[in-house]
Amino acid sequence: MLESKKKLLALGMCIILLISLVSGCNKKIEEEKSVQQTGSNKISETPMTFSFWSADTTAGQMDDGFKSPVSQKIKELTGVTLEKDFAVGDPREKLSFMAASGEYTDLVYAVEYSNIVVDAGGFIKLDELIEEYGPNIKKLYGDNLARLKYSEADPSIYFLGLPTVGEVRYEPESGFELQHALLKELGYPKIETLQDYEDAIKTYIEKYPEIDGKPTIGMSVLADDWRIKISVTNPALFATGGPDDGEWYFNKDTGKAQIHLTRPEEKEYFRWLNHMNDIGLLDPESFIQKYDQYQAKIAEGRVLALADSKWNYVDAEQALVAAGIAERGYAQLPLVLDKSYKFADFRPAGYSGGYGVGITTSCKDPIAAIKFLDWMCTDEAQILFRWGIEGEHYDVVDGKRQFNDETFRAWKEDADFATKTGVGVYSWPWPGYGNGALDSNGDYYSPIFKQSIIDTYTEPEKETLAAYGVETWKELYPSEDNFEPTPFGVLWLINIPSDSEATIIMQKYDEITAKRIPAAILADPADFDGLWEIYQEELVDAGIHELEEEFNKLIEGKTKLWSN
Amino acid sequence: MDGQKLKPDKKPLIKIIIKQRYLILMVLPFIIWAVIFKYLPLWGWLMAFQDYKPRAGMGMLDYPFVGLKHFITLFKDPMFYNVMRNTLGMSFMQLFIGFPLPIIFAIMLNEVKNIRYKKFIQTSTYLPHFVSWVIVAGIFTTILSGDGIVNELLLFFNIIKEPVSFFSMPKWFWAICTSAEVWKELGWNSIIFLAAITSIDPTLYEAAKVDGASRLQSIRHITLPGISNTILVILVLEIGWMISIGFEKQYLMGNSLVQDYAKVLDLYVLDYGIKLGRYSFGTAIGIFKSVVSIILLYSANKIAKRWKGQAVI
Amino acid sequence: MLFRKGHRRKIRLKTRIMDGLIMLILLLIVIVTIYPFLNVLAISLNDANDTIKGGIHIFPRVFTLRNYKEVFKDPILITAFINSVIRTVLGAGFGIISTMMVAYVLSRRDFFARKFIANLFAITMYISGGMIPEFLLIKQLGMINSFSVYIVPGILGIYYIYIVRSFIDGLPSALQEAACIDGANDIQIFTRVILPLCKPVMATIGLYYAVSHWNSWFDTYLFNSGESSLTTLQYELMKVLNNSNTAAAGHMLKMKQNAQNVHAISPQSMRMAITIVATVPILVVYPFVQKYFVKGMTLGAVKD
Repeated sequence: MLESKKKLLALGMCIILLISLVSGCNKKIEEEKSVQQTGSNKISETPMTFSFWSADTTAGQMDDGFKSPVSQKIKELTGVTLEKDFAVGDPREKLSFMAASGEYTDLVYAVEYSNIVVDAGGFIKLDELIEEYGPNIKKLYGDNLARLKYSEADPSIYFLGLPTVGEVRYEPESGFELQHALLKELGYPKIETLQDYEDAIKTYIEKYPEIDGKPTIGMSVLADDWRIKISVTNPALFATGGPDDGEWYFNKDTGKAQIHLTRPEEKEYFRWLNHMNDIGLLDPESFIQKYDQYQAKIAEGRVLALADSKWNYVDAEQALVAAGIAERGYAQLPLVLDKSYKFADFRPAGYSGGYGVGITTSCKDPIAAIKFLDWMCTDEAQILFRWGIEGEHYDVVDGKRQFNDETFRAWKEDADFATKTGVGVYSWPWPGYGNGALDSNGDYYSPIFKQSIIDTYTEPEKETLAAYGVETWKELYPSEDNFEPTPFGVLWLINIPSDSEATIIMQKYDEITAKRIPAAILADPADFDGLWEIYQEELVDAGIHELEEEFNKLIEGKTKLWSN
Repeated sequence: MDGQKLKPDKKPLIKIIIKQRYLILMVLPFIIWAVIFKYLPLWGWLMAFQDYKPRAGMGMLDYPFVGLKHFITLFKDPMFYNVMRNTLGMSFMQLFIGFPLPIIFAIMLNEVKNIRYKKFIQTSTYLPHFVSWVIVAGIFTTILSGDGIVNELLLFFNIIKEPVSFFSMPKWFWAICTSAEVWKELGWNSIIFLAAITSIDPTLYEAAKVDGASRLQSIRHITLPGISNTILVILVLEIGWMISIGFEKQYLMGNSLVQDYAKVLDLYVLDYGIKLGRYSFGTAIGIFKSVVSIILLYSANKIAKRWKGQAVI
Repeated sequence: MLFRKGHRRKIRLKTRIMDGLIMLILLLIVIVTIYPFLNVLAISLNDANDTIKGGIHIFPRVFTLRNYKEVFKDPILITAFINSVIRTVLGAGFGIISTMMVAYVLSRRDFFARKFIANLFAITMYISGGMIPEFLLIKQLGMINSFSVYIVPGILGIYYIYIVRSFIDGLPSALQEAACIDGANDIQIFTRVILPLCKPVMATIGLYYAVSHWNSWFDTYLFNSGESSLTTLQYELMKVLNNSNTAAAGHMLKMKQNAQNVHAISPQSMRMAITIVATVPILVVYPFVQKYFVKGMTLGAVKD
């Protein structure tokens, strides 16, 4: 009896295996998607669901799962429910799979990998849809609509660009940083050049070789993965008057762009950095430390000086403020190699479009989708996204919007403010106005504007600013009118097509740079020139000039595209 | 004619199948499974001979055929040889050091009489396996940093006068990676050997003791031969994997100064294949890896056969 | 007489020293290997802002449960947990049975297709058609958004087949022969002779399968991310992690825009809390598996 039972069992299992192999044990659940359209009304009466996938790996943490009051309001006003999903790990993987299978979510935001979807024919062209159903889209983007065109070869619009329309910048993005404590100790001297910077650090470190029992570090830079560009190579560009165009410098005289690290001026910057290392003012761990370790040092208050973009060290700075040593935070200064240069942080680039949300071929009702996106461009939606619900999150005081006390406190202090209230969840990457943009009443679309920023300054920060006679850091920097706007946006947003030789050269360039520049900085000063020459030669061998040629063609194409 | 007489009567195939029908039944579903899930997708290798970019609506045969173009690109790239050197070098080091250690550890652990200690040691040593590389790499970089604990100890014992910056010395990188790998996987990898040791007939040990054998002698003559099958299988399979060392720890612990020694094949595929959207190129490297792996596997298998008398595969 | 006693004492002393040495080495290994885990635990219980300063070893400096609260924020974790458990149990169960069956068949010298099948399986470990074809296959089989995609494509770990086979090869053949003479067929030999003897290796590969299923998230991400009722624990945990190392440009743009936004819990603290949450269940289960590794238990039992 036992025998045959066992036989049966074995047989049964094999059969089950075969069946499950063949049928797939589907638990497919059909999405509720009604394909009703309600005439000319932009608000759909029947509930609709759009699926959305975002390549932004960091957004998932700030997402509300469509449960917050703001999301519920969206549903109330439009009848639309959004199912949001986010990339985990490298977004290119999932995007490639979607592209290969031809199955996407209804809406996709693909950051700088949009080309994967466009090349696969995954995005639908939006031009006509916008023309017919997108009055608010047109209003919001205005003339910038031309900047949403994809490329010279294919000037269609595939996605709605990033929410920085009409943005006014209130803060510098990059600079050279010195601790407030250091500046105070030295009596807030005039610091305008790198020499001033060097002298200030030297003076202070001689006085205070230790902070809290640990050795003081003069200047620390970070070379961890792609952040080497932020902390090591970009400053060379900035200190010699170059605006942030990523790896590029656009020479107005020749009308051509070049890889900025080929400029002789920047060689002098690195010579200076080599000198800093030689006299012991540069953190010896600069080129081996990881981002975590870099932040840890900053948070301990031991690093006197940085050459970094604010958003790269802001977490660490917040940690030290929370630890009560806000005076170890940093002043942002537009330092240059010598006074003949102007720090070009505020070079206006106009709206750069960049990337955005697109409608895919998998969307069963693209007209409803475009209507939804169009609604998002209305004032009603914009205010909802940035300020929340009137009465619940903000009130109108003297004709101007203001967070109520509870919301304001939560906004500043609660880590899950966005998740709980929904305010800020839709401020990126959905279409919208940038910070500082004003509506028809002269009120801000966004709660981030000059005064709100000043309100977040720490005490030592305010002291330093007052000592230099300004209210914000921006005022220390050469202002926008010192620079000509570019007709092609920022150069680092120009996409190099993925199957060109140029991308390969770009990768090699990254690797050579990551190898040679630190070596040159750490070397004996006598060897510097020789090492720099080797570096430049290697770049040429790897094809840097071909890369530049390709890129210049792309710039031309983009300029033409945008001037239409 | 004569040769045939010496052979026993060959049974017709049908008879064999009927006789061994249960065995066939037990293995057939999985053969089908292997064919479907492992062999069927190999059509993707076609990509390596084309210029592929994912595009819905295009059949596999619609892409432009470029022959061996991607392979040639691969072999022409000077970086490729550097990468191969790093990969094989690190694999050898890892195999040489990382393979015997779990075995030795299992044997040592087996000698512990107290069951509670034994369990405790086992549990704590397999824990690092569950800690992701991201964290382990972080721990290693901290420990080996200028003011990390390793330098502190070295200074304390006067072995060095100044702190050593381990991560700025390219030649040390392989050793660091191997150490990290051993640290993380020693306990986990020893589990299988422990299980193997458990299966050895305890009466053999008793008999040996009666014969006056020392502990080391028992180990040499009973334990090791007893688990030799397992050791050999794992060794041969590992040799087959030598070219697929992975990239996580090299990526996480590498930095610009040790680049030349840190780039391994899988990292190369990541940077020059997937990241740049060069699927065809990536697939070509994949084929290359498969070919090399199979060569390694069967070479190791042959050596094992000659040595032990029976092949592992 | 006297000589034997002294000799024995010598041996005992030697044994004691060896024992001591072994214990010392093992203890060192324990200290070195248990450290990362204690470190992870400590950081997970430490306030995120304080952790950035570094220097946490095995005790939290500023105790907090906030990191765990963050991790458990979402009720979907319960669904995820249940799915993971089901998947792990089923996956390990099927894995053990299938591996044992195949390994047994391949261990039989007389099996007519032995060499061919052994090679067939072995090669699969070193070849791959690439992720895209594998993805398309799953899609064509209709396994997108299904539970079976967790079990079926990965039902067998080929590597384990060979390990198990090496075990079976090590078993005394007399037992199999005896059973054969007694008139048992292949399946009976398998269930009555082989399986009982293979308890340690079954426990081992069961553990390996279980851990592999418990830890996997990529398949959830690729195939089932559109269906939240099928989510698994590791996937949910991975989603919580901030990964700012990819899509650098997109990240930078957003950071510039939202610099005002208060930052969420530091990724490092989250990573640590997640590691602990994902590992604790395994720690809980492991002692039950461990008993199979105690020497001599199984063989002794079978002899009766």
